[in-house]
Amino acid sequence: MLDRGDLDKLVRALAETRESEIGCDECFEKMDRFAEIEFSGSDAATAMPLVQDHLRKCEDCHEKYEALLMAVGAG
Amino acid sequence: MQARTNEQWLAELRGPNPNEALSDLYDLLVRGLRAALGGPAGAANADIEDFAQEALLKITNNLDSFRGESRYTTWAKKIAMNVALTELNRRRWSDVSLQDLLARRTAAGRGLADPQSTPEQVAFQNMVLAELRGIIDKYLTDRQREAVVAVILEGMPIAEVARRMGTNQNALYKLLHDARKKLKLRMEAVGLSPHEMLAAFDAG
Repeated sequence: MLDRGDLDKLVRALAETRESEIGCDECFEKMDRFAEIEFSGSDAATAMPLVQDHLRKCEDCHEKYEALLMAVGAG
Repeated sequence: MQARTNEQWLAELRGPNPNEALSDLYDLLVRGLRAALGGPAGAANADIEDFAQEALLKITNNLDSFRGESRYTTWAKKIAMNVALTELNRRRWSDVSLQDLLARRTAAGRGLADPQSTPEQVAFQNMVLAELRGIIDKYLTDRQREAVVAVILEGMPIAEVARRMGTNQNALYKLLHDARKKLKLRMEAVGLSPHEMLAAFDAG
């Protein structure tokens, strides 16, 4: 099931793995707050590091977050 | 549209005459969805209006779940983005079954080394590959293996894989997290830390 083309993706995923990570539900719950901090020009990643970590790892949540940022920007 | 505080939004939506607030919120969601998903290759206008309508229903049915940690309108837009992207991903991946995805991989055999790799790098990659294959076979459950392939290697949305595996997005993320932790631990136990592996792949 695993071949050379997969190595890079899998090893990168392992390198970013932490003992403690929040799940998609918790990320979604905090996403609006995170977006507002970022939108205000403050450092959301420092304020909410577990959300930032999840957004880097989870493409589903990252996609929703990017969409939310654009929607917030639209006023 | 009149500006409202969070408390004003909630009071109007809960009150006896919510129509003006509902109408304003709907317009706001449509504008947000257009900004996020519109454009020439984006979602169709009718879809955007449907997403806004569905989100509005969820929002009004869950007025008590707003915890006041952001502006009410940001929270509402978050619900709308979730509705829209869940549906768009469902459509985008509707023709793909997990079985086909896994079967295609078995048949594809993408095993050629990068021609720019040095012989040492190729030997190291082969060794890592053999270790990872062994650990995946020995320590991951069937469900963890399927999830690793579909989400990490094939890039299928977690929610879509979860739907096919009869679970939900949050539970599947946790299953994947457990799988990643197990793999990382087992690789480290044979002296292969992911960071060193990456450094070795990138060197040369």
